[in-house]
Amino acid sequence: MHRSIQKKSRNFEGLSNKFIISLSIIALISFLLAFFYIPIVRIFQTALSSDSGSGLKVFWETLSDPFNLKFLGFTLLQAFLSTVLCLLIGLPIGYFFAKYEFKGKKLIINLLTIPFVLPPVIVLIGFTVTYGQGGWVNLLWQSITRSSNVLITIDGTVQGIILAHVFYNLSVIIRLTIPAWQNIDNEQIEVSSTLGVGKGKTFQKIVFPQVKNAIISSSLLVFIYTFNSFAIVMKLGNFNFYTLEVLIYESFDLLKFSEGASLAVIQLVINSLVIILYLVVERKSRKMAEGKEKGLKTERLSFRGKDWKSIVSLSLSIFFVFIVILFSFAPIIAIIVKSFIPKSPGDSPFWGYSQIFTQQKITPLNTNTIRLFGNTLLFATVAAVISLILSVLIVFVLRNRYQSIKKYQRSVSESFVSYLIILPMATSSITLGLGLYLSYSGLGSYYNSVWIFIIMSHVLISIPFVTRSILVAYNRIDVELLNVASSLGASRVMVFRKIEFPLIKRGIIVGGIFSFAISLGEFGATFLLARANYETLSIGIYNLLGSQTLQISTAMASVLILITALCFYLINKFGDIELKV
Amino acid sequence: MVKVKINNLSMKYEKKLIIDDFELEIIDGELLVLLGASGCGKTSLLKIIAGIIEPEEGTIIFDEKDITNYTPQKRKVGYVPQAQVLFPHMKVEQNISFGLEAHKLSKEEIKERIKWIAEITQIQDLLDRFPSEISGGQKQRVALARALAIKPNLLLLDEPLSSIDASGRESLALTIRRIQKETGITTLYVTHNQEESRLISDRVALMYDGKIQQIGSVIEVDRTPRNYLIAKIMGSSNVWPVEYLETEDGNSLVSTPIGLITLPYEIKRKITGIKIPPSSFKIVHDLSEDDKMIEFIGRIKSVIEKDDENFRIVVDLKDAHLEYFKVDCKKEMLNIGSAANKELQLHVLPSEVILI
Repeated sequence: MHRSIQKKSRNFEGLSNKFIISLSIIALISFLLAFFYIPIVRIFQTALSSDSGSGLKVFWETLSDPFNLKFLGFTLLQAFLSTVLCLLIGLPIGYFFAKYEFKGKKLIINLLTIPFVLPPVIVLIGFTVTYGQGGWVNLLWQSITRSSNVLITIDGTVQGIILAHVFYNLSVIIRLTIPAWQNIDNEQIEVSSTLGVGKGKTFQKIVFPQVKNAIISSSLLVFIYTFNSFAIVMKLGNFNFYTLEVLIYESFDLLKFSEGASLAVIQLVINSLVIILYLVVERKSRKMAEGKEKGLKTERLSFRGKDWKSIVSLSLSIFFVFIVILFSFAPIIAIIVKSFIPKSPGDSPFWGYSQIFTQQKITPLNTNTIRLFGNTLLFATVAAVISLILSVLIVFVLRNRYQSIKKYQRSVSESFVSYLIILPMATSSITLGLGLYLSYSGLGSYYNSVWIFIIMSHVLISIPFVTRSILVAYNRIDVELLNVASSLGASRVMVFRKIEFPLIKRGIIVGGIFSFAISLGEFGATFLLARANYETLSIGIYNLLGSQTLQISTAMASVLILITALCFYLINKFGDIELKV
Repeated sequence: MVKVKINNLSMKYEKKLIIDDFELEIIDGELLVLLGASGCGKTSLLKIIAGIIEPEEGTIIFDEKDITNYTPQKRKVGYVPQAQVLFPHMKVEQNISFGLEAHKLSKEEIKERIKWIAEITQIQDLLDRFPSEISGGQKQRVALARALAIKPNLLLLDEPLSSIDASGRESLALTIRRIQKETGITTLYVTHNQEESRLISDRVALMYDGKIQQIGSVIEVDRTPRNYLIAKIMGSSNVWPVEYLETEDGNSLVSTPIGLITLPYEIKRKITGIKIPPSSFKIVHDLSEDDKMIEFIGRIKSVIEKDDENFRIVVDLKDAHLEYFKVDCKKEMLNIGSAANKELQLHVLPSEVILI
């Protein structure tokens, strides 16, 4: 009798925990089913079966179409070139920041990261103002050379696309390789030199193998991001160049759904392969970093007591860093400056700003700008809240200590969840939008409820980043802390409320703001799904890109930059940004 | 405060039994030191007793109550893990009150309890600080206070001195001893360091191969170790394993790393090692004809002043690779100025050789 009551009490704690975990798993799976897996299945269905019933016919036709093949090749090539260029510039910069200690270093690294969090339309408009036909770089060049020749053409050229991609992704390489350099134990280098090994050989045999995985994993990330590039290629490609992502959108726009879906399948397969490779390398590089206590010996940035050779090489390094900072900031500053330059002399410099805060509709736009602002902020807020809830659930399912301690391994359902969340990482925003459209546009109320699907696409895009932010914080919690708490008599709920939550709070704040920022600037899925009244600022700015005066669009962009920069500031205040998925 | 009885407990880790049909009794109010090498399952045992890990088999009984199926919350066990894991986001005072709040004590009771335990553990001045602002030894005292504040049935300490620097160890060990005696809480103290067991234990239990191999007071275990391994774990000087044993004509031939030793009697039981106490050696100046004595030749490695009258010498054994003796001798027997590397002849009476 006694015994059976005790058994029950143990089971109760276990059961209540099991209940919470099961509920989380059910919530996660239903969300993923409704807004991700059903749409993905729908895409496969659309790709692999056609109305005529001839099965794979459309799929093979799409796949073997020379036009598609050519631009599949181009998509891979431009991603490869962008990645290589990012590496060439980013690796030395990363090493520089790891090696040298100077005032304002952290600030500069943070500022260099801003382009990564900017919405793609901001990059587009910044590039147009800076490097476009009538952009400042070309005007400067023309006035120096006293000719009408331009220095650089970004419209309809490969260089424009690649330049924009490097601008966007450079910080991924810089930020992710800095810790790898810093992690190299200087004593290893010292030991190597006492063993009679030269500097070059030491680098090749000791240093490089330890940073290799960080370099590969950050490169794979840049590759993924540029392989799925949409807004930049659609605008700068100017119907000369397409990525798969743009081709999928074009097919959708022409109502050729089977073709679009077929391309989406190919893209999904390639993405999945790269993501899996990324996860493998990333795990290796994390193992490499474990258990290191000492790091690279840093040096104060100073010319004092150096011979002329070192002074010259150091000066060149600093100059190089300066150029990269300029490159990363010129477009942002250009937008803000441009927004205050009057259309014609005598006009108010605030004309653009006054225009966007009036109720009237500006011509190429489908709705007034106040509504655009409202939509953008509302979608971002709701998406952030939903992403946070789901991400906390994911973290709890993945790090369910009660289960893992008893059995020393994850249960099937937990492993299942951990695999279920990989595929969304490999799905581009256009594919996501297309899947949602194909699955739900048949519903009668679709056009009035399209905002739900826009928000859900933002949630799916930001979940990997939010989950990571929280997971990083959660992984720092010592399991023994939780053991002690329960042996002190704390219930599961009390452990969460008093220990786990306070310790992951910063991760939650960072993740929430990050999700907000991602939703703020999301372009692809929104562009595909949004109709008139549900458009966001990004779509509005894009639609204004072709218009004569850039004053209104730069004013809108400046506001967007301000909000994004504020988000980024807050993220850095509470923790660290996660560029990884 | 309870007496604890653990019956045929087993636990597997990655399909290997690391705790195997384990039996242990802890007497009410005693401080029992569990001594064993790293990885022998000591920590797992603590976690099983705390209810954090479920055992494969077996029962844990507090007084007469079977608590095997109790949750950690209900066991009321004070668990202090190896690393001093204080809740980093709470001040020392909040760390201590955490368990008291979980046990739903009133505000006044909590205040009183904190005052009581802070005094015993001498952390009154630390209550307002965060864990990041106090030293390793202070953290360990706070972890103790937090565990003791709930007045646990049993206190579990996992290598409490392992992360404390050498100079602070002894005083913290004695502090733990004093606190345990003042509160009278039954305590299981796990360590791999036999010095700690000498310093604070009421009884010591030696664990390997997933079981307790011997249990008793330190003096008992030291005097009559059950086998060679236990003598070694207890850190006894001059013990060697026995490789093989032959008996003939009333004599026994014992093969050890220090050579073949002849004993003038027949050994009838199984032996695992021999021990020669440092005081059993005699330094002789010329080899005598007395063949009843066991002879060794070696060189002096180092000399330690043991007390006013005696030296303890470390002697490298000639002909045996890397084996050495610790030998006690009267100061007048040795001229310390010329002792370095000096060759010594040593005699031991066969009756002084202790069989293990």
